[in-house]
Amino acid sequence: METRLLHIFRNTPLGREVLLQSTYFCKTIGVNPVIYIPEFIKFLMYFENDVAQIDLDGSYLIAPETARAHAVEIVRSQGLPEPNFIEPKNFTASTLPDIPVNFDFMCCPRTVSDLSSKIGLGYIGPRVRRIVQSARFPVLIAGTVSKPWKSVAVMFGGSANAINAFRLGARISRLSGLPMNVYTQLGKHSLDYYKDIIQKKNLSRDMDQYVQNWEVFDAGEFAVNLYNVPHDALVVLGAYGHGVIKEMLFGSTMEKVQSVLPNNLLIAGPKYQASM
Amino acid sequence: MKFIKRLNIGKYPSQWIFFRFDDRLLLISIGALVGSCSGLAALALNRGLIAMFELLGHYRHLWWAFMMPGIGAALSSLFLEKVVKEGAGHGVPEVIYSVSRYGGLMRFRSSFSRLISSCLTIGSGGSAGPEAPVVMSGAAIGSNIAQIFSLNDRQRVALVGCGTAGAVAAIFNAPIAGLVFTIEVIIGEWSALNIVPIAVASVFGAQVCRLLQGNQIAFTHLQFNIDPADTIACLGLAVVTAVVSIMLTRALRLSNRVSHRIHLPVWLKAAIGGCAVGLIGFLLPDVLGEGYHSIQAMVEGTFSNGLLLVALLVFAKIVATSFTLGWGGSGGIFAPCLVIGSFTGLMYHRFIEMLWPGIAWVNEGCFALLGMAGLISGILQAPLTGMFLIVEITGGYEVILPLILVSAISTTLCHSFEPASFYMKDLVEKGHFLRPRTDARVLADLSVSELVEKDCIIVTKDMKLGDFVKIMQKSHRNFFPVEDENSGEFLGLIHLDDIREYLFDPLFYETVFLEQIMDIQVQTVGLDDDLSVILDRMDAGNLYSMPVIANNQFVGMISKATLLDKYRNELIVQTDH
Repeated sequence: METRLLHIFRNTPLGREVLLQSTYFCKTIGVNPVIYIPEFIKFLMYFENDVAQIDLDGSYLIAPETARAHAVEIVRSQGLPEPNFIEPKNFTASTLPDIPVNFDFMCCPRTVSDLSSKIGLGYIGPRVRRIVQSARFPVLIAGTVSKPWKSVAVMFGGSANAINAFRLGARISRLSGLPMNVYTQLGKHSLDYYKDIIQKKNLSRDMDQYVQNWEVFDAGEFAVNLYNVPHDALVVLGAYGHGVIKEMLFGSTMEKVQSVLPNNLLIAGPKYQASM
Repeated sequence: MKFIKRLNIGKYPSQWIFFRFDDRLLLISIGALVGSCSGLAALALNRGLIAMFELLGHYRHLWWAFMMPGIGAALSSLFLEKVVKEGAGHGVPEVIYSVSRYGGLMRFRSSFSRLISSCLTIGSGGSAGPEAPVVMSGAAIGSNIAQIFSLNDRQRVALVGCGTAGAVAAIFNAPIAGLVFTIEVIIGEWSALNIVPIAVASVFGAQVCRLLQGNQIAFTHLQFNIDPADTIACLGLAVVTAVVSIMLTRALRLSNRVSHRIHLPVWLKAAIGGCAVGLIGFLLPDVLGEGYHSIQAMVEGTFSNGLLLVALLVFAKIVATSFTLGWGGSGGIFAPCLVIGSFTGLMYHRFIEMLWPGIAWVNEGCFALLGMAGLISGILQAPLTGMFLIVEITGGYEVILPLILVSAISTTLCHSFEPASFYMKDLVEKGHFLRPRTDARVLADLSVSELVEKDCIIVTKDMKLGDFVKIMQKSHRNFFPVEDENSGEFLGLIHLDDIREYLFDPLFYETVFLEQIMDIQVQTVGLDDDLSVILDRMDAGNLYSMPVIANNQFVGMISKATLLDKYRNELIVQTDH
């Protein structure tokens, strides 16, 4: 079955950059983009156990008469066939379109509901977070300027979500043919602990086959060590793998990474089930 | 930490050992919690409305008081549109939609948004009821509690029902009506699995209300001595209530359509509608608000207005309700139905008294009660809800025989003219009304991707017929998709029945290319198409198979035989529990 990426298109220069990155991602790993051009400021996404109302920033409704042509032009400029567009069939309360959620990926900027001036390091909007938490697909959080990536960088901290992220990274590496690097910050555990997890989860073959380099930080702060991640890498990581209390007490890897790295992030949420 | 591990408390509540014990006990336990919360929500709205009436009551005699419903409706609309950013609507259709299509998934904000907006609309004098808002609130509470506990769709629907039942039970102090309304209108499925937790939630909702504001029945219980003549007269009342129900349904929809055609901000439209209600209320104050005081007077037989004025009140209340709800105010039609129904019953009683003054008719309060049941049954097309609600809110079974007659006849007549009830009409028209175990529901639960058959041999347009014949011998299919060699684009379809004349003449083998004989006018389907639409197209075109296309590329074939096979499997799954 075809693999599809959902993109909510904003007909602005920022939207163009985000769509360029979506199409680059699609082209690199062989995914078909499916574009939604919003006609209303609100829409709903019904996930398996959650319903998220997305209240868009007003700029998503700018110049609707040229939006479709611009989207087609951008996608075609990347050598992809004409994309499919979503026409909502179902409406909640007669006025709120329900957008399907049966996709393999989704791409959006760091925020969709706040003014785009808020987009910056350290901030991921509440709606984007909600999608990451509830979706069965990973979310590609694109930067504000289109930039091709040349490798895949996976943040591996040993949790269930990190294992999902590892598998996702390996899949991207396999489909794109680009090298994959793994980054681990040693905390209270030794390297053997992480190696043991890799072995127990049957990831050793993937480690040998796809991973070019496993960089282990045994000293220094994680935020400082992240400087070693290449500027042109697609960063793959898991999110919301711990309980709320644990995250409040110790923070999360995702928050540190998204506060420091301006790279494109591919985030696997807790509902995402990775497959090779 | 070790203790927690020993209790097997995982990261998600669905993994907790507590949630793996008996499914029914689990639903009953959580249902009781949901019912109690819904009861509190209903109580909060009730108290809010009382506070609003007390606050604004001092200003009702002033000349500008007609603007109060307008201001209230505008604030309510602004609150829904700008603060909670929720679409407008009565509430109950949204709950049915969510149960039908998304296993009862509802937004958290719905658990409080309608309480506030309807408090503003009704408290300021708008002609609407608090029942639909508390139904939506209760349903959203149930849905969100189910989401917290990561329950599955079936369990979540049951908890949405628990929330609805708890809310209705609390607002009317009528637990049986809460249960019956939920099953008859919201869930549409009489199964023990649903009924038991919903009944428990109903009890808890009513009990919470009784604890906090006393065990009061809504209207005074009176003894009515009903003669056979009264029962026969009820047949006429049933017809009249059916006519009024149809009028109300159509007036609401007309009002909604007119308001949609006017291009003004939603809050301004709500304000215009509210001011219109205020003006009507200036002349006929009985149309304002939820109207329970008028019902009380009619049931007790102390409503003194004459036949013509009561008839005028029926129409005025219909117009006022249409202006309130159709133009953007927030609230439900339950209370207006009760008020219009009691006016209708009273009007009918006065009319037959005038025609046959010699007959000793039962007290007019009895006809007011029967009118309420007739309107509720007609509008909702839910006769059991109408009957049990009236029995419970009046605290007596004396009127049960004519009540059954009026409810049954009114529902049947309304169904003949309006096949879908007021709540369901929009959903039916848009194909969103998917009751369990119905054709639409089974088809909605299947998707094209589940049915695609991929064992097709793809050929190219430049292929010679001779080469195709060799390929054809290896295939058991009659259809062969034709693709562009370079782009992979779907170009058309070869159907063996269509090319039979060429197949048996070897002269064509080297001279005919597939491009010349393929069918390019093929009806195709997409992966996201509805199966009900696909089936209709197959029936209309007398087709048994259709190609599935995505991004202009061939994905596979979908056949009627496979569809019906999966349909049967899905039906077995849905009817199994």
